[in-house]
Amino acid sequence: MRCTIVPPHMLENVARGDDPALRDLARRTLALSSAQRTERRVLPVESPPPTEDFVPDRTINDAQNRETLPGETVRAEGDPATGDRTVDQAYEWLGVTFDFFEAAYRRNSIDGAGLKMISTVHYGRDYDNAFWNGEQMVYGDGDGVLFTSFTGPLDVTGHELVHGVTQYTANLEYYGQSGALNESVSDVFGSLIKQWHLGQTADQADWLIGQGLLAEGVNGVALRSMKEPGTAYDDPRLGKDPQPGHMDDYVDTYRDNGGVHINSGIPNRAFHLAATGIGGHSWEKAGRVWYDTLTGADLTPTIDFQGFARATLGAATRLYGSDGAETAAVRNAWSGVGVRV
Amino acid sequence: MKVTVTRSGGFAGIERRGESDSERDPLLSRLVDRVDLGSVPPPGRIPDQFLYEIDIDGAHAVVGEAQLSGPLRELVHHVLGRAH
Repeated sequence: MRCTIVPPHMLENVARGDDPALRDLARRTLALSSAQRTERRVLPVESPPPTEDFVPDRTINDAQNRETLPGETVRAEGDPATGDRTVDQAYEWLGVTFDFFEAAYRRNSIDGAGLKMISTVHYGRDYDNAFWNGEQMVYGDGDGVLFTSFTGPLDVTGHELVHGVTQYTANLEYYGQSGALNESVSDVFGSLIKQWHLGQTADQADWLIGQGLLAEGVNGVALRSMKEPGTAYDDPRLGKDPQPGHMDDYVDTYRDNGGVHINSGIPNRAFHLAATGIGGHSWEKAGRVWYDTLTGADLTPTIDFQGFARATLGAATRLYGSDGAETAAVRNAWSGVGVRV
Repeated sequence: MKVTVTRSGGFAGIERRGESDSERDPLLSRLVDRVDLGSVPPPGRIPDQFLYEIDIDGAHAVVGEAQLSGPLRELVHHVLGRAH
């Protein structure tokens, strides 16, 4: 994947050539390898020479369309590809997620101590969901009408695995504001994993969650937008994206564990504002502030938005000083969504 | 007899709602007869799991998908029309 066999100049010629099919193919290849070149260039700078090379331990299980966990193991760490796209994609994305946490924050897997990463795919029939059950990740294939397979987008895998990271760190209670923060942290790092994989800066990223998950014909671009909560979809069958991006529009509900997938739009947008305010690669500074907050000692399991916001400000101050531009960006981000810090 | 099921949560956080009335749904009361809402365990707080809120003529319970089995599962999927 990381080596291109055809030299770029040759592809560039084909890309300018007369055959439309070849031209398209060459252009796609060029775009792909350019992303990979960026990745190669960026990675050594991002990760200091590690004293210990962390090694992932992945297991992919197949539920064979039943709703029984964990299912049958079809690919373990180091096994060759199975040929089942879903299985191999799940394996691949777990690897990228693991590599991200090692490279960006020197974290060794979900628990920081090399925990086995277990995913079950082909869960249920037409199952439109993915979740973390406290021990492992679970993915449905989608119904093909509204949703494609949940193993497709990298940020979905990142999102679910980060529920595990949160469980082992701040352990944010999955209800109300602490629950919305739990959700938001999963979206934040899910998006950062994708940005890191693509080598994108804050202004290049799409800031979407679940891009590619909506089936063809559904009116929407993704499931959530961190940049503009409430704008990800508007479809007769799915309804309209209900996320607020400001405390003025906070939704009080007992459903969905007190609106954890709804009000997460507010801290999501705060992160986007902080990251774009700081600029550059979002995992480096804004991501570091959020990571230190999540894994530090300042959060209680039932903390609210304001408490979390203050903790990010504390983390930013420790990293960049009280007068730092980064610290100011974090402060502005929270006031931009109506959370007083 | 009237039964309402509302599904919330899930990774997508998209709500679905189904409703059925025994006057037009001959199967409904037979399904309800086998269900005891009082014995449903509280939903665990499992990230991104589906939550099912079930209302049977004013009696009310919330079930997590991990606890949804047997007759209750049949009822829920019947009323929701096994929707997506």
